[in-house]
Amino acid sequence: MKHFQRLITLHLLTAGLFVLCNSAFVAHAASTPRSQRIVSLAPSVTETLFALGFGNRVVGVTTYCDYPAEARKLPKIGGFMNPSLEAVVAKRPDFVIGVSSATDPVKAREMERLGLKVTLISLASVNDILSSIKSIARLLGSPEAGEKLVDKITLQFDEIKKRVASAPRRTTLLAVGLRPLVVVGGKNFINELIFLAGGENIAGNADQPWLNLPDEYVVAKAPQVIIEAGMGSERGDSAKHWGDLKSIPAVREHRVYAYQSDKILRPGPRIGEGLEEIARLVHPECFAEAKRGVNKGNGCEGPRP
Amino acid sequence: MVVKVLDRRKMIFVNGVLLALLTLSMVACTLLGPVHLDLSRALRDLSFANPDAEILFRARLPRVLLGVAIGGGMAACGVVLQALLGNPLACPQMLGVSGGASLGGILGLILFPNWLLPIAGGLLGEISWVPLAAFLGALCSMTLVYRFSLFHGRLHPYHLLLSGVIFNSFIAAVIMFLNSIIDFYQAQGLLFWLMGSLSTRAYLTVAFIWAYISFGFLWLWAKGLSLNLITLGEEAAMQLGVETGALQRQIFIASSLMIGAMVSVSGMIGFIGLMIPHVMRLIVGSDHRLLLPASFLAGGIFLCWADTLARVLLAPAELPVGIITAFFGGPFFLFLLYREGRKALTL
Amino acid sequence: MNPAIQTRDLSFAYQDRLVLHDVSLSVDRGEMIGILGPNGSGKTTLLKIFSAVLHGQGAVKINDRDIETYGRRDLSKLFAVVAQESRVNFPYTVAEVVLMGRASYHSAFALEGKKDLEIARASMELTDCLLFANRYLHELSGGEKQRVMIARALAQEPEILLLDEPSAFLDLKHQVQVFELLRRLNRDRGLTIVAALHDLNLASLFFPRLVMLRDGKIYRDGSPQEVLTEATIEEVYGIRVRIEQDPVSEKPQLFICPSL
Repeated sequence: MKHFQRLITLHLLTAGLFVLCNSAFVAHAASTPRSQRIVSLAPSVTETLFALGFGNRVVGVTTYCDYPAEARKLPKIGGFMNPSLEAVVAKRPDFVIGVSSATDPVKAREMERLGLKVTLISLASVNDILSSIKSIARLLGSPEAGEKLVDKITLQFDEIKKRVASAPRRTTLLAVGLRPLVVVGGKNFINELIFLAGGENIAGNADQPWLNLPDEYVVAKAPQVIIEAGMGSERGDSAKHWGDLKSIPAVREHRVYAYQSDKILRPGPRIGEGLEEIARLVHPECFAEAKRGVNKGNGCEGPRP
Repeated sequence: MVVKVLDRRKMIFVNGVLLALLTLSMVACTLLGPVHLDLSRALRDLSFANPDAEILFRARLPRVLLGVAIGGGMAACGVVLQALLGNPLACPQMLGVSGGASLGGILGLILFPNWLLPIAGGLLGEISWVPLAAFLGALCSMTLVYRFSLFHGRLHPYHLLLSGVIFNSFIAAVIMFLNSIIDFYQAQGLLFWLMGSLSTRAYLTVAFIWAYISFGFLWLWAKGLSLNLITLGEEAAMQLGVETGALQRQIFIASSLMIGAMVSVSGMIGFIGLMIPHVMRLIVGSDHRLLLPASFLAGGIFLCWADTLARVLLAPAELPVGIITAFFGGPFFLFLLYREGRKALTL
Repeated sequence: MNPAIQTRDLSFAYQDRLVLHDVSLSVDRGEMIGILGPNGSGKTTLLKIFSAVLHGQGAVKINDRDIETYGRRDLSKLFAVVAQESRVNFPYTVAEVVLMGRASYHSAFALEGKKDLEIARASMELTDCLLFANRYLHELSGGEKQRVMIARALAQEPEILLLDEPSAFLDLKHQVQVFELLRRLNRDRGLTIVAALHDLNLASLFFPRLVMLRDGKIYRDGSPQEVLTEATIEEVYGIRVRIEQDPVSEKPQLFICPSL
């Protein structure tokens, strides 16, 4: 009997020691993160990494990663859709983060086969963007940073939603190309931003995230606001493209805005600011500064410029 | 026995029927689309604040008119190129001109993203750098292919075909290379060049293309008899009185200029130039004096409807019209070949 | 005499290979000449130079005028050529092909008129192909196609008919028919005929004058009796033959002596 008791105690002690050591180890890991090398395969991922405070761990970015300014000085590992396998491997990263709809899946699998830890996040919807921020933060060992950033963005969202809450929904078209006309469709995070900004995307019922739109459709749907967010739209010139379609309210009332902005187009941590930019274009009257004293009621009675 | 030959009655009948069909198609395609058009409202108030009038006159009519010109032009060029190269598989893409135009347009799009010239706006619509850059590209490739195919002052069909095809492959590689270095938004523009689109509102452009294509077509039609003779073989044509060297040069330049202009405006809409000549040959015979106008009209009808389908099929999205021409043209041609195969040539 | 075709010291080279050497030949109006010689002796080249498809060194005169001074359309009204074989890559009917022979006679903008149709019809009748006037050319046999080509040549209403081995794909009956037709055309219409021939016996029977080419030079020029001798055949063709005079036609006929 005594022999048996001694055996049990020994087992319990060993188990206890084991648990103690592990928790100590975990606590150790949590309190002192080891230096992690990260390669980003997309501009939005780069922005997220910097916004979460991991900018100093990023060792490789794409040629399109231009924000923040520090990212531009980082070594380049290739393009957005086609990163260079060798360049990525040469950086000996601990983490490689790409985007599931854009990064070449064949290259991603190759990287995994070479022993790299590849994570592909989805940025298809606003929800996806927010949860991807959290998952990146968790992956890199600082979940609180992720929560904080998401809270900040959510706050920005709420602020805008409040601002435009009382204004009537305005039909909107957001184009990224003019010849041919390429616009934001449904199943696109920008579509959601337009909705949150108090607008209604006239192509929002389409299945495709981006689509070519025939001119007659734009005329028929009569958007009240047209935003041209694509490359090459020069302010002033873009109005000429629509100039002959005066039945469109946006054209008639001079609400065609050439507004090239990565905050709107990039599914990254600045979508809160992007939302504000869209809202300012769709509902400018809700952003008139209350200089004249009290902000009457809901604040959307500012003068329409 | 009665010997069946091409006579005035057949010419008038065939062309008359096709002309009637073309007019009907133009009317129908202007009235059809992904968006419902209230015709009475459109015609009642022609001021430009009327959305129905704008859909009819600003968004649809220019497209239909452009489609007829380009469909006809592509078909006519297909006919003469098949005669010139003595090859029933010849088509406008084979001369390398369309590749040059596409490359010129893509480079224009990439290098000059500010695509609206100051001459713009209003009724006639905007003119932009990109079609001009494309046409320049077309002229360059035309000159190059011409130089490579010129031997002792004569354009040899064999060399023309080869250099055109190789040139096209080379251009395709360059375009794919550009595709891998441009960003996502520019890539959409690339698709336009490769698959074509009739999206236009500029009446000035449409009028220009109409004038250009009509002139080219009429000039080619006048050469109809010589085209017949040249399909008998170069030597036979010479012995029947044709100055083959001069004719080959003239046809090459005329069709290259036409193709260059068309591709500059609407991108590469393939398949019409290959298929329509064969379809019409099976229906009206190989005499180019009838085949040319018949193909021109049939090409216009075909592209009109193809564009309507492109607008309607995946509404509200607009498909590149080149997809429709290949997708629906192919099976129809195979069906016709199956039925009338006896009349088809044996190579 | 006003010679229809006259060449003096005509030479022609394909790249570096000299095909014709100093050929001086005179063909009178209304003559019927057969050009003989093994493959590669320059028969086809000579005919192509006559029809202005090729240009050689040396003078070529047609009706006493330098051939270079003629426009192609005018030449096509003087000459008609029946080539050895014709490849037509597009579906044309026989009638369409024959009518193309009338191309130089009406304006490019006009369709064929009644006269053109009549002449085409007559040509098809002469060559016994009227029956398949509405059939497609590519459906016919080699021999039938050849007759259509002759019909097209006749539709051109030429003064001079050039034929390159016209009996090449014809069966015996049609071979004889074609040659009889040529003789009739020569006699009744005064058509000048120059034909490159490979069948020496038929050449002897139908052609009053023969020109034998060897390595691009004229080896013999004269009547069948003068040209077709055992020595000449052995020298030019490299085979031994026995020549006998046919008692009915009074023309020399060859009998091959193969080594058994």
